[in-house]
Amino acid sequence: MSKLPDPVNLETITGNLADAVLLVDLNKNLVWLNKKAEEFFNISLNSTAGHPIVELTAIKRLNHLLDEVYENQEALKCTYEEASVKVKKLNQRYFFKIAINPIFQADNLWGALVQFTDVTRFHELEKIKTDFVSIVSHEFRTPLTTIIVGVEMLKEGMLGDLTPRGKEVLEAIGADCERLNRLIDNLMELSRIESGTIYVEAEPTDIADLVEEAVRPLKIQAAQQGVELITDLPPELPPVAADFNKAVWVLANLVGNAMRYTDPGGTITVRVRQRGKKHFFSVEDTGCGIPKEHQEKIFRKYVQVSGPGRKGAGGVGLGLAIAKDIVMAHGGEIWVESEIGVGTKFTFTFPVHQGDESVTIPKAD
Amino acid sequence: MGKKILLVEDEKNVILGVRTCLDAVGYDVEIVEDGEAALEAVHREHPDLILLDLLLPKLDGFEVLKVLKKDPDTAQIPVIVLTAKAEEEDRQRAVDLGADNYMTKPFKPQELWDHLRSYLSV
Repeated sequence: MSKLPDPVNLETITGNLADAVLLVDLNKNLVWLNKKAEEFFNISLNSTAGHPIVELTAIKRLNHLLDEVYENQEALKCTYEEASVKVKKLNQRYFFKIAINPIFQADNLWGALVQFTDVTRFHELEKIKTDFVSIVSHEFRTPLTTIIVGVEMLKEGMLGDLTPRGKEVLEAIGADCERLNRLIDNLMELSRIESGTIYVEAEPTDIADLVEEAVRPLKIQAAQQGVELITDLPPELPPVAADFNKAVWVLANLVGNAMRYTDPGGTITVRVRQRGKKHFFSVEDTGCGIPKEHQEKIFRKYVQVSGPGRKGAGGVGLGLAIAKDIVMAHGGEIWVESEIGVGTKFTFTFPVHQGDESVTIPKAD
Repeated sequence: MGKKILLVEDEKNVILGVRTCLDAVGYDVEIVEDGEAALEAVHREHPDLILLDLLLPKLDGFEVLKVLKKDPDTAQIPVIVLTAKAEEEDRQRAVDLGADNYMTKPFKPQELWDHLRSYLSV
């Protein structure tokens, strides 16, 4: 078998790559870069070797990413969803996926290879989709106003008498309007999150306040439905690092789901426990349960589980996808445990607030 | 005599809906369909309250709000924004310009009545 030529000519190997490749030392100063990188960042090796890569690329985020790679001595790959950086060049914005590999000399860490993959086109397509969703959901609101106002007035008998059958039909229309309305709200929420216009700003947040805010609006509905809604919080929990409104949304959404799938006489328990640096929030119901084969899918967009005992009404299959986005943006996790006929338990984690340390995960520079 | 409400809205069907809703509880309703007409109508009709859409022809709702709240003659008239714009930035902008309340479409008649009553209580 042939051996690699010695020394390896980096120019030859990376010359035709579509990705920009830069080598940096332990001080994060530039050692070498390929043609694509020269072209893209409009710099030449001769005049810039030894300069900080953060300055040369104007991507602040690299500082933090390189620290992580040097600390763990492990490669770091950012998927498109979780990390892309904006670069402004010639008044145009580019988006990159970044991969960083540590480089060792003998057994010692020497520096890193930083690779930029251009994902601008992807980003544009995502944006078109997100904008479309936003426009559509927005355009639905006006006609829905006329329908809802009309239905409610008719139901109240304010526009004349109705036959019992007519009333029944109106009730159904009203319920479906509610459903459409929820769908629109969810689509809007999703498009906001996807377009990145919503930033998760984690602040020290009181857990009792958070739970109360999420559960209070649902208490009446629970009582009407004959479902017991219990909150179980130990006293004096340290604050959670969370974006209050977003966290309330997640919790309220899980409780709302539980309510849809729990029959009269059942219970829903909202519980919070601290373990180490994490708070574990759980919503447990005594509902019909989720079949094993669906448990993995339910956090994906537009997935809804139907089947006997499941009142499919109400959702669009976006709530959990949004909840997952929000939880992940806080650096937490969300999962489900469920047994058919016994009940379902959703758990998510949020970090315990740590002094002044920021827990927000930067989405993009 | 019933309280007078100026409805500024350009969608015919929504006008019908809101008007029906207001008639039912005995308010007098004056309707205009664009921003410029709204400003004229405020000075002519002296409404007790204004229901204001944001996306309007000629002069949009934000502009109308700005003019009304700067003019000492009209600043004290409560303005409830009724809009399909559900984004937080829009709400904040309207509130900053002096909107007294912000309702997003769709809404139920009861919600509208409750809001109106809180500003027009006898």
